[in-house]
Order: sequence, then C-alpha cells, then structure tokens
Amino acid sequence: MVLPPPAAISLKSPNGAAWEFLVLFLVVIVGPPLMKRARVPGIIGLLIGGFAIGPYGLDLIGAGNTTVPDLGQLGLLYLMFVAGVELDLGLVRVHRRAVVGFGALTFALPMLFGTAIGLALGWIVPAALLLGALLSSHTLLLYPTARAAGLSADRGVATAVGATVLTDTAALVVLAAVSSSQTAGGSGGSIAVQIVVGLAALVAFTLGLLPRLARLAFRYLGTDRVVRYLLAVASFLAAGTVADVFGIEPIVGAFFAGLALNRLVPNEGPLMDRIDFFGSAVFVPIFLVSVGMLLDPAVMVEGETLKLAGLFVLASVGGKAASAGIAKLAFGYSGPQAKLMLGLTVPQAAATLAATVVGFDIGLFDQSVVNAALVLILASILLGTFLVERSVPTVPPPEDDSERVGGRILVALTDPRQAAIAFELAGRVAAPEGGIVRGLLACPRSEAAALTPRLAELDAAAFAAGIDAESRLLVHDSLAESVVNVATEAGASLVIVGRPTTPGPSAFGSEGEAIAAALAAPVAILVGEASAIREVEVVREPERIAGGTFDADGLAIDLARRIGGAGVEVRDLDPEALRELRPGQLRLLPATSWQLLAGAADPPDGAVVLILPDN
Amino acid sequence: VRRFRRRSLTAGLGCCALALLGGCGSISGSAGSFTPAHPDVLTVATAAVPSAGFWEGTPSRPTGGFEYELSRQLAKRFGLVSVRVRIVHFHRLVEGHLGGADLGIDLITPTEEREKQLEFSTPYLKAAPTVVVRSGTEVPDLASAQELRWGAVRSTTFVERIADSVDPEEPAVLFDGQREMLAALQAGRVEAVMFDLPLAVATANHSAGRLEAVAQLPEPEAIAVALPKGSPNRQAVDSAIRAFAADGTIERLLERWVGSEAAEAESAIPLLHTTLH
Repeated sequence: MVLPPPAAISLKSPNGAAWEFLVLFLVVIVGPPLMKRARVPGIIGLLIGGFAIGPYGLDLIGAGNTTVPDLGQLGLLYLMFVAGVELDLGLVRVHRRAVVGFGALTFALPMLFGTAIGLALGWIVPAALLLGALLSSHTLLLYPTARAAGLSADRGVATAVGATVLTDTAALVVLAAVSSSQTAGGSGGSIAVQIVVGLAALVAFTLGLLPRLARLAFRYLGTDRVVRYLLAVASFLAAGTVADVFGIEPIVGAFFAGLALNRLVPNEGPLMDRIDFFGSAVFVPIFLVSVGMLLDPAVMVEGETLKLAGLFVLASVGGKAASAGIAKLAFGYSGPQAKLMLGLTVPQAAATLAATVVGFDIGLFDQSVVNAALVLILASILLGTFLVERSVPTVPPPEDDSERVGGRILVALTDPRQAAIAFELAGRVAAPEGGIVRGLLACPRSEAAALTPRLAELDAAAFAAGIDAESRLLVHDSLAESVVNVATEAGASLVIVGRPTTPGPSAFGSEGEAIAAALAAPVAILVGEASAIREVEVVREPERIAGGTFDADGLAIDLARRIGGAGVEVRDLDPEALRELRPGQLRLLPATSWQLLAGAADPPDGAVVLILPDN
Repeated sequence: VRRFRRRSLTAGLGCCALALLGGCGSISGSAGSFTPAHPDVLTVATAAVPSAGFWEGTPSRPTGGFEYELSRQLAKRFGLVSVRVRIVHFHRLVEGHLGGADLGIDLITPTEEREKQLEFSTPYLKAAPTVVVRSGTEVPDLASAQELRWGAVRSTTFVERIADSVDPEEPAVLFDGQREMLAALQAGRVEAVMFDLPLAVATANHSAGRLEAVAQLPEPEAIAVALPKGSPNRQAVDSAIRAFAADGTIERLLERWVGSEAAEAESAIPLLHTTLH
C-alpha cells in the first residue's frame, strides 16, 4: 500500500456545529466534577466552563454564535417549567398565607432597596424602578439541589418555589411597564391594559385551555412515551409564545405551563423522570454555560462596575435576607429552613438578565450597569450555592407522600379486562395530589408466558385514563404475599386489588382481605367491570364501633368524593341500600361487618363495587 | 452575643452601602453622563449645511433636518440648552479632527481605519449606498454603471465602494464637499454619484426632478455618531441612540425630514448587482 505524501493530507482547524456542541458537552461533562473535586459546587464549573469557551475566554464559541444562547433560552424555559410542574400545589395551598407573605416580601424589599439606590445615584425614576425589578426577581437555579436532597415537599422549599410565581411575575410586570413607558406609543393607560390583558390571556390559556388540551392529547396521542414527552415540551413552548405575544417574558408562560400540567405529570411518574433527565443532562446545564459565556472578567473588575455591583448585591441579598428573616419569625420556619429559602431566592439569572438587557436596549442602562448586573448574577449564584449546600443537610426530610391516599397507588389485577375501570378510578383518586399510579398484572408462574403479551392492554387502558402506569408482570406463588411485598417496597398509599367477581359469598377470606390484613396501607378490592362511572354511592353502617387501623367510612367517603365529586350519596345500611346496582354505578362498601358484606351481591355487568376492608 | 453580632452585621452592611454610595461620586447616571465641551451647549461638527433633508438653514442658523433634529434631541436628553454647528471638511472629520466639537454627525460610517482616530456610537441608521444620476440617465446593470463617469466626496467610504463594487472604466472624480459634487453632477462633469439611501432620496426630492436615485448597492452601511478618541461621553450617546431607536424618535425624524419615501425606497429602488472584490 502506498501512503499519500503528507502534503496531500488536508487538515483544517475544527469548526462548525459538531465542534461547538462537542466543546459545549465537554464543559457539561467535565466542569461540575472538576469543581466538586476542588470542593466548589458543580454549578460553578458550568459557569466557569462557559466563560472559558466563550468569546471572552478561549473564544471556541464566538460572540456571533446564536445556537448556544438559543439552547440556553430553552434551558431557562425548561427550568421554569420544571419548577412549575414539580411545585407541590397541595403544600402551596396549605401554606398559601406564607407563600403570599414571603413572595410579597422577597419581591418588595429588594425592589424598595434597588429603587432607593437608583434614586440615590441620581438615576431617573424609570431606571431606578427597573433596577428594583432587576434585583427583586430570582431564578430557581438551585432548586434541583434541594430536590435531589429529597426536600421538594419541604414547607420552606415549597414556599420559596411558590413565592417565585409572585416575585418573578411582579418583577416582569414592572419590567413590561417601564419598557412600555419608554418605547413608542407607551401611555400609562395602554401599558396597564396591555399587562392586564396579557396576564389574563396567559392565565386563561395556561390554566384554562392547556390542561384540557394536554389531557386530551395525553389520552389520544400519548400512547407513545416519546410523544408524551414532546407534548410536555410543546406545552411550555406554547405558553412561552402566548406570553411573548402579549409582551410578557416567556419564562412566566413556561412557569404557568408547569402549573397547568402539575396534576397531569406526577412528580415520581415516568414522564417526570424523562423531563428531569433531559433537563438535568442537557437543557439546564447549557443554560448555565450560556450564562457563563456572558462573563467578561476584564470589564467586571473595573472600579465603576465593582462599585455598582457592590450596591446591587447589598440591595438584593439584603432584601432577600430580610424577607427570609421576617418570614422565619412570622410564619414559624426553622433556622435551616429560612437559610434554605434564602439560598433558593438569592440566585439571579433569568429575569435579571431579561430586565438588564431590556434596560440596555431602551437606553435606560449603559454598559457599566450591564456589567454590574453580570457581577451580581455571578455573586448571587455563588452565595446561593453556598447557602443551599450548607443548609440542605440540616433540614429534616419532609413526611412521606404515601400518607396521602392519592400519593402512590398500586393497581394489582389478575384480569386485564378490569384495567380500564381500575385505572380510571386510580387516576381520579390520585389527581388531587398529583400522585402516581403503578400497574401490576399478577399471575402464577404457569400462566406467565400466556399473560405477558396482555400487559399492553394494561398500558393502553392506563394511557386512555391519562396515566403512564408502566405496568409490570407480577409472577407469584402467592398473590397476597407478592402484592404485599411490592406494595411495601413501593411505599404504596393505596392498593387497588382487582377481582372480576366476588369470591364466593363474601369478599372476606379472599386474597384481597389477606393483602389488607398484611399491609399498613389501605386496600380497595375492585369487583366487576364497567366502561364508565356515572353515579357513586357509599353504603355504610349507621353506627359501628371502630376497630381497624383505618377509618374505613371516612376513607370510603374520601375516595367516593375524589371519584364522583362532592355530590356523592352516602346511604346507611338497610335492605334498600343494598339493592342491585345499575350499569354505570359504583358502590363503595367500607367492609366493617359480615352483615354488610353478606348483603352485597355481585354487581351486574357495567357496575362495580369497591370493598374497603377495615383491617 | 448573638444579638450583638447581628447588630454589628447590620451596621456593617449599612456602612458598606453608605461607603459605596459615598464613593460613587464618579458613578454616572444609569445611562451614562454627558459633559459638553462648552457649558449648556452641544457642539456638533458636520461637513455641509444645508444638506437636503439632513441639515436645513445655514451653519449659524440651522432650521431643521434629520441630523440637526437628532442633535437637538441629544442636547435635550443631556440637559443642554442649545446646539452649535461647526463646519469641518469630511476628510478632516473622519481623520478625527472635530474642531473642538463634542460630536460629529454627518452620515459617518464606522470603519476600522476611522476607529483609530474616533469613537463611534451604536449606529442610528443602516443605509445602502445609492446611485444618484441626472434624470434620464439609466443604470439598469453593472455594465452601464461602469461606463459612467463617477464622482465621490474625498475620504468617504463610497470612494472604495465605487472602485471595488462598480469598478468604472475611469477612476472616480474626488470632491472636497457634497455641494461641489452635486454641482458637477448637475453640470454634467460627472454622471453618477453615491449617497447613503436616505440622503439620496432627500437629494432627489429637493432637486425639482433634475436628479434621480436609480439603484442601490447590496450590503448596507452602518451610520453612527462620531466622538473624539477617548471621549467619556460615548456611553451616554450610545444609550441615547438606543433610546431614540426604541421610542421611535429616529423613525419619526426620518419621516418628517426625509419623507416616507425613504422607507419605501428600500424596496422601490432596484438593486445593482455588483462585482464585490
């Protein structure tokens, strides 16, 4: 073989999309572990890596590159969407007073301090107000750290995340108002109308239309898991676009989209897993790298920049710290919780950058203000990282979700024909908590091969109910023992055991009762098949002596209301109450006595009974 | 002890804030500060007054025009009372001699060479070089453009654009000023000249039908305010130009002094496909 002479080999310096993405991903891979080895938070590795490859560093990704900043924008929208999706709305509702109070404080104090500093520096009022807005917003950059530590359901974390809605919306409203007042045709009235109409349209789209559209899309298009993921991504992009059309920052839209899908995307469900995976592997790190690319040490260390930055940091951190301190006293947070709340609300990135860039574009800010804002972003991220990493180990993990009946539901079936009604009921029970539903198709070893292909029927039924149940085959020697083991391992909050017909004269003595007797969590035995439920009733004994672990009557009424709404009929036990069910009826029987169960006949086709053993 | 520490911390932070605020005597307004060469007066250097649509009236008594009104808006934003005009030859302007003026405003395109002598603001216009001829002269293609006798003002970017993009058979005739060049065009000593698009449109409009803007070149040029090298006023002028672009001032002034034809001209005047070297 004759090799060509060296002169014939033509090499060129690497460039183009493949090279830029390679550099970007190398930073994402190498930056955090390198920093962690030096005992510096990994997030700083991404920022420094961004600077290193950016136009002010090695210039491997030049200033004219729009791909990385665009991907960074997507990452930012993703971050806000995830924060909205993961927000524990139940917890926010419970602590709404604290959320509103802390949100108002953590917006108002930095806003006040920032505006005062602007005015003290002799800035005109719109510039001073914009500075206030710039300092009052924050980005939930460190929320993934708190979540990874299992603190997403912590009261302080939920308050900080919930307060972000108020803080960033208020900051972006000030930004929109100031910007409109400085641009063409901006009168006070028209600005107010624009903002009010924009927010109303955004709320109507995200909280009114989007959940319905998403539910329909998940049901009819979402049988493919890739499609479900893409639907979630499309949802926040659509909401961001609607916000943008009305002159509101797209991050607000993305956050609202997260809230809209909160119930449809359970935190521990497979779809959330995928959203988290792509977010933490690609989009969010790229956002941080893109922020790092803006850092220009040469201008950031100029005297005037540092003086301004010092004031910005004081006003912002001072305001946020005062808010956390007041919230601690007023709403009874522990010291570590208050420190964690401060750590979560100190980092500035998204809305701060947006406000700074807008202020620059409309001639309210000059380059030194932009540079000072970048110093503020860097300093706030460093401080926030320090606070969060220090406080996370000191905050006790919150109580388990499984205490709430809709948190983690396990549906164990032996006959796939019950799947449709079982998942429909499980979905409705899980909805208020945004809980997850898992499916099991149980069979003895000898039937495993025959039943495996029918798992698809369970998945199809779950998708039709808007659930991604990721059903599994449960091969067992003893059904009761196997279900108990799986339920215990999964920390189930409710187990629905399907039996196509009542086993003999009563449900007692069945596998279901054996499961109920062995499990700490409540069990519901589903008898019968139905395609839809139109009417729900609870039949209970008028006076009974409580004996079991659960208040079976209370649980039955709770489940009935989750399934059928507030207008559920509760009947006391008498022969009339145990009349034969009609198709479309669901009867819940708190199995408190032999008498009650003995009177319960097999439901006819199209009707179902849920028996709740009072173990 | 804890309370004392907390109070000390609060007092420390307060002192820091006061020290930073106190030490911020040099920190200008949020959009930069402007220090004029002469108190209360914005002194602007330009090459020719009058210049159709851009500087109306006389140097001592300007009455309007896009660039004059832009200067007045700048003066108003910087809290100055009046605008004083200083006439400086264009080639002297771009060599960095502003005659003691605060700014040079004369459709100046920032180039690497000029940036060695001057500071430039963010651009306030982007305009295509546009060919102006006596009415009746047709320039349908590059070949016919190359046959024409061209004229250009000395030291403008058009000298190079004509040589590089048009490459006429005879080298362009150079003039010291716009007025002499237009007189030569009207007298037939040159057959084609080049202006930035808005000035080309305004010149044709003011010529009572004697002149016509017939073709524009690709690759529009940025037009910016020139400041003396090292001027501390650049940030303030930059911010002002961005503000005027955002609040519609520039668009309004263009429409008032050049006319809506300038906006339409971008699509109405045919593109001359040139050979770019």
